[in-house]
Amino acid sequence: MLDIKNLHASIEEKDILKGINLQVKPGEVHAIMGPNGSGKSTLSSVIAGREDYEVTDGSIDFLGENVLDLSPEERAQLGIFLSFQYPIEIPGVSVSNFLKTSINEIRKAKGEEPMGAADLLKKMREKLKVLEMDKAFLSRSLNEGFSGGEKKRNEIFQMAMLEPKLAILDETDSGLDIDALRIVAQGVNKFRNKDNAVVVITHYQRLLDYIVPDVVHVLMDGKIVKTGDKNLALELEDKGYDWIKKEVASL
Amino acid sequence: MEEFKDKLESNYIVFENELNGEADTAVHGMRRDAFRNFEKLGFPTKRNEEWKYTNLKPILKADYKLFPKREDHIEFKDVKRFFLNEIDSYKVVFINGVYSSWLSETTHQGYDVCTFGNALRKYPEAIDGYFNKVAKTDEQAMVSLNTAFASEGAFIRVPKNKVVDKPIQIIFFNTSDDREIMVQPRNLIILEQGAKAEIIERHQSLTDTPVLTNSVSEVSVGANAELHYYKLQNDVHTSSLIDNTWINQYRDSVAKFSTFSFGGRLTRNNLHFAMKDENCLTYMNGVTILDENQHVDHHTVADHLVPHCESHELYKGIYDDTSTGVFNGKINVHKDAQKTNAFQQNDNILLSDRATVDTKPQLEIYADDVACSHGCTVGQLDEEALFYMKSRGIADKEARALLMYAFASYALSEVGIRELKQKVNMLIAKKLGVDLDFEL
Amino acid sequence: MSNSDQILDDVTKKEYEYGFYTEVESDRAPKGLNEDIIRLISTKKNEPEWMLEWRLDAYRKWLEMTEPTWLKPKYEKPNFQDITYYAAPKKKKGPDSLDEVDPELLKTFEKLGISLDEQKRLTGVAMDVVVDSVSVATTFKKTLRELGIIFCSMSEAIQEHPELVKKYLGTVVPKSDNFYAALNSAVFTDGSFCYIPKGVKCPMELSTYFRINEAGTGQFERTLVVADAGSYVSYLEGCTAPQRDENQLHAAVVELVALDDAEIKYSTVQNWYPGDANGKGGVYNFVTKRGICEKNAKISWTQVETGSAVTWKYPSCILKGDNSIGEFYSVAVTNNHQQADTGTKMIHLGKNTKSTIISKGICAGSSDGSYRGLVKIGPRAHNARNFSQCDSLLMGDGCGSHTFPYIETQNKTAKIEHEATTSKIGEDQIFYCNQRGIGTEEAVALIVNGYAKEVLNKLPMEFAVEAQKLLAISLEGSVG
Repeated sequence: MLDIKNLHASIEEKDILKGINLQVKPGEVHAIMGPNGSGKSTLSSVIAGREDYEVTDGSIDFLGENVLDLSPEERAQLGIFLSFQYPIEIPGVSVSNFLKTSINEIRKAKGEEPMGAADLLKKMREKLKVLEMDKAFLSRSLNEGFSGGEKKRNEIFQMAMLEPKLAILDETDSGLDIDALRIVAQGVNKFRNKDNAVVVITHYQRLLDYIVPDVVHVLMDGKIVKTGDKNLALELEDKGYDWIKKEVASL
Repeated sequence: MEEFKDKLESNYIVFENELNGEADTAVHGMRRDAFRNFEKLGFPTKRNEEWKYTNLKPILKADYKLFPKREDHIEFKDVKRFFLNEIDSYKVVFINGVYSSWLSETTHQGYDVCTFGNALRKYPEAIDGYFNKVAKTDEQAMVSLNTAFASEGAFIRVPKNKVVDKPIQIIFFNTSDDREIMVQPRNLIILEQGAKAEIIERHQSLTDTPVLTNSVSEVSVGANAELHYYKLQNDVHTSSLIDNTWINQYRDSVAKFSTFSFGGRLTRNNLHFAMKDENCLTYMNGVTILDENQHVDHHTVADHLVPHCESHELYKGIYDDTSTGVFNGKINVHKDAQKTNAFQQNDNILLSDRATVDTKPQLEIYADDVACSHGCTVGQLDEEALFYMKSRGIADKEARALLMYAFASYALSEVGIRELKQKVNMLIAKKLGVDLDFEL
Repeated sequence: MSNSDQILDDVTKKEYEYGFYTEVESDRAPKGLNEDIIRLISTKKNEPEWMLEWRLDAYRKWLEMTEPTWLKPKYEKPNFQDITYYAAPKKKKGPDSLDEVDPELLKTFEKLGISLDEQKRLTGVAMDVVVDSVSVATTFKKTLRELGIIFCSMSEAIQEHPELVKKYLGTVVPKSDNFYAALNSAVFTDGSFCYIPKGVKCPMELSTYFRINEAGTGQFERTLVVADAGSYVSYLEGCTAPQRDENQLHAAVVELVALDDAEIKYSTVQNWYPGDANGKGGVYNFVTKRGICEKNAKISWTQVETGSAVTWKYPSCILKGDNSIGEFYSVAVTNNHQQADTGTKMIHLGKNTKSTIISKGICAGSSDGSYRGLVKIGPRAHNARNFSQCDSLLMGDGCGSHTFPYIETQNKTAKIEHEATTSKIGEDQIFYCNQRGIGTEEAVALIVNGYAKEVLNKLPMEFAVEAQKLLAISLEGSVG
């Protein structure tokens, strides 16, 4: 589904990603872990198509299509979803209005009819329930005045509504208390099926107790330096990143 | 007004004749052009948008003497209270526009703290580089008028990376028992790269005879330099002041100006900052407390010419009796001055039914990637807070004063000289008519 | 034949009786302005003597006035002798089918989601539709008449309700108020008149929509709305569809009178031709709008300004009566080479008067937008309150945004708060929308509509929807 080959990217002429290789298949959950500044958030931004970053080498294929030439909205329309680490506030635009626009733009791109208001509302209510959110939430301005937990829940709510093929969760666990974490994870698990995939980017192992990964990658200094199963995450939690640093240095 | 203008014209001829030998210099050429410009513009009237709320007419009626007689018999003990005495400082003191060596303490060691007249003779290169170059005269009648007669004031020059070791006090005393006088000080302040200085400026009349001061200060704050400037305005009720201060700021420099207006009949402060290079930081703070029929008009400009500069402005005003206050703060963000951060706030309290305040905070923005805001309020003391204080046994008058002090004190945050802050606090307390222990 | 057409017909038949100009065509005065032209206008409209005198007085005052120079917008001054001041509002021969209508215009209609029938009506095509609307209008007219509401053209009002016109015309905007108001007073040809009797709540939004026969009344419109004690009316001005008016100068005057306990809500969606992308052509919109509030009265101005090459407009409130309320909600969009200088004046004279100002400016392209406002608290206006919020949103580095608020306070019990911010449209916001599959153009529309929501919410429902679309259309191509 997602096939990243030798990806190099830089910002303001500073190299951040230095040759990433990553393959994600439908039905899989991948975790990307790494210390601060290793390039985790850059990777998610580059996949989503943020223009601040320059891709200097390599390729990103999604569903067999080279997405590097596509605009951010075209990638989203293909089914790439990024849950932002810091969701943006848009004053005056309600959650429901935003979602309606988003869903219908994506449908339009696929040549589908826009979704009717009644269906939309029904679906919103359903998904809100999973995330234990009140429906008053729909009429609030997007992310404006939201608590950190509400913002993250809102991201997962949008994911549930948009039903993307690939969901990248960038530090979705940061700023969440344990209850909120459980609810968010519940939302993600409910979303999972054999046709879609999830990439969880996280600093800590904590979220992976709830969203169990099939593959765990360790990102360091712009490269994936180690790949393993869920036990790798536990090991990192236990021993920190230093041992990997040493291991890499000794190579 | 026309009469006074005519008088200035004949005085200018007298002034020119007395220059003996200087008439051919470049400086004098500028004076002549400036006078022509003043003749063309005339005194500003209320029809001029920039003078909409300040009427000069009444104060221009007096028969001012332009070249008052020399007065140097002032004893230090008689004027001591106008100085900041608790700290050691340099002093450049003038009486009726004439330098008083007796009251002054100047230096040429490491930096120059002396007079403009002195610099005219000794440092022509400094004069050529800055005089009439920082201040703009074209649309400015009052600056032009000052330039035409410019001959005396303070001259401060701090060379590269020098730090002036103690504050500099510039004081203009005026004393005349019989005739109204007009004085036009001209100050030139140059901080070269990495230099640092603190300056306190004051205009003070010692008698009740009307005085009109039309002052111009040209200030250059070089790259990475830092200047703290305090204007203490607490003159007698017969004196008027038109202050024109123009500042050029260069890369990474910091300029902090505080204006305290408590006294005088009519005060007009024109404070004009031009950020010439990137990464300048500017602070403008003001506290105005007026009563009786006083009038203060603050006109400030933050001219953001280049990207990445930051300006902060906070003016607080309290107006009693029939006093009138004006605030006109302008933020100009030129095309290309991206990433500008400019903030401005003006808050006012009216204590009397006959006091008025006219405020016009103004943004003119030609760049898109900026964060600019301004706000202004007019209101009263918080009745809830007042009640709360009274319920704790604080008398009404003290409670009000305390709240007003609290209101004004935000604008004192950038005062770096502790003793000065105390003095300002005392002046505020006195103006509010209370005894407050600000040591707390 | 409708009433005004009847009058028109009567007048034109008398044409040569006065013989001012033999070359006068049947429906058009010669170019230029002088007292004879004013007499001609007045005669053609069969006006009573007092009206003519009123006009002439205004004209003489105008002669002594000069054009304002303090405006931010720079424009070429109109040549007042090169304008035709009277062209009879005869129905122009419309195009026979939509194929003959400017395709640009049709494209805009489509984007606005205006139905085909409506499109035809707006471009003056199919007569049956027009007839349809006329019948609709007549139904409403009947309802209104039963309530005693007068809603007609200014010409009609001068003929049929002279006592009301005489009593209120020029009382809020005096003839000599300003250069363009004086000009308008001298030469206005038509406009709307509305009177709501005591205690009547007008059950529907009154709008030019219902009086299609008066469309195209030209450059100098005069509107007078009088809400008698305890009454209420909501008035919608302007056509929501983009009018391709080639007239260079529009100098309208709108006067609102809200008597004790009355309320007037006045909404405008202005979308005159803004000129092309290079700043060529376009309308100069110099409008004087003002309302006066008596005791406990309320006037609320809401405007969405997207059109005109140059706009100069300050809908204002004189809060004369105690406890009266003034409101101003504005969204002004400028793009390409448009220039807008707009804002409001809130003059507090009575006790406990309140005013609210919400102004949202959006500047794109090489345009210039200014907010200019005055809040004045008179010495007797005890406990006056004002809150102002003026925000500007900038798109692209070629535009300029300016804020000139004047605040004059002469009463110590006043409470005034003014806030203003200027910021850029957030790249982060656009990217966030992009990531959710929303294209940049759509994202800008979404963000701008969110930004302007506080004001758009004040518009009547059907107006708001169109206004939202207009915002999006006006800003097309301004980002990315």
